[in-house]
Amino acid sequence: MIELLLCAGIAGYAALRVVLERNTMRKLPFLNVVSFAVAGAIVLIVPHPLAVLAAAAYFVGSTLESNAIASTWAGGGKKDE
Amino acid sequence: MPSELLEIPLAAVVCWVNFVTIDLFFGLPREGGVSGATAIAQEVEAGGGDLKGGTMMGNIVSSPDASAGTLLASCGVAVAGVPGGLFAALLVYIGNRICYDPGYAGTTGAVTATFIVYAFTLAGFSATSFIVGMVVAILTIQGLSHRHASRLLGRLWKWRT
Repeated sequence: MIELLLCAGIAGYAALRVVLERNTMRKLPFLNVVSFAVAGAIVLIVPHPLAVLAAAAYFVGSTLESNAIASTWAGGGKKDE
Repeated sequence: MPSELLEIPLAAVVCWVNFVTIDLFFGLPREGGVSGATAIAQEVEAGGGDLKGGTMMGNIVSSPDASAGTLLASCGVAVAGVPGGLFAALLVYIGNRICYDPGYAGTTGAVTATFIVYAFTLAGFSATSFIVGMVVAILTIQGLSHRHASRLLGRLWKWRT
C-alpha cells in the first residue's frame, strides 16, 4: 500500500510542477516523472503479466508524445535525402 | 511496514546506480538523439544547468532509456519473475525503435535490472519496492532541480570521459 501511495504522491507532485513550470521545454522532464509514476502505479494496482504490457504501452506512448512535442518545438527533424 | 521503509530507499539507490551507469556507458550525454532532446538540453543550460547533463535528461525524456528499462523490468519481475523482466526488455526494445532511437541503453538496462531485482528478491526484498524505488530515482534526476541534476550528471560524464 505504501508503494502505491508513494507513486501517486510523486505523480501528483510532478503534475503540479508541470503546471507551475512556465518554460515549455522544461515542463517535459516533469512530465517524464509523471509517466514513470503512473506506469509504476498501473502494475502496483493490477499485478498481472498483461499489466506490464499496459504499463509499457502507456509509457512508450507518453514518451513518444514528449519526443514529438519537443522536436516540433525545436523546429522539427531534418530530412536527410 | 518498517522493512518497506528501509527497502524502498535502498531499492532507489540500486535503481539510480543501475540506470545512471548504463546511460553514461552508452554515452547519452554526448549528443541529443533527436532535435527535441537537444532543445531540452539548451533550455536546461539557459536555466543555469549543464549542457551535457541536460542532453542526457533530454534523451531520457525522448526515448525509453535505462531508467525506463529499470522501471519496466522491475514491474515484469514483480508480476512474473525473470521471464516477466525479459518480456519487459523486449517491450523496451520495441519502444526504442518506435521512438526513433538506434541505441541499446534501454534494453541493456532492462536486462541488467531484471537480474539485479531478481537477486534482491532472493535476498528477501519485494520486487514492488524496486518499482517505487525507480520512481523515486527518476524523481531525483528529472523532478527536483534541473539545474543541480544536470550539473551532477555533467560532472559524472566528465569523469567518465
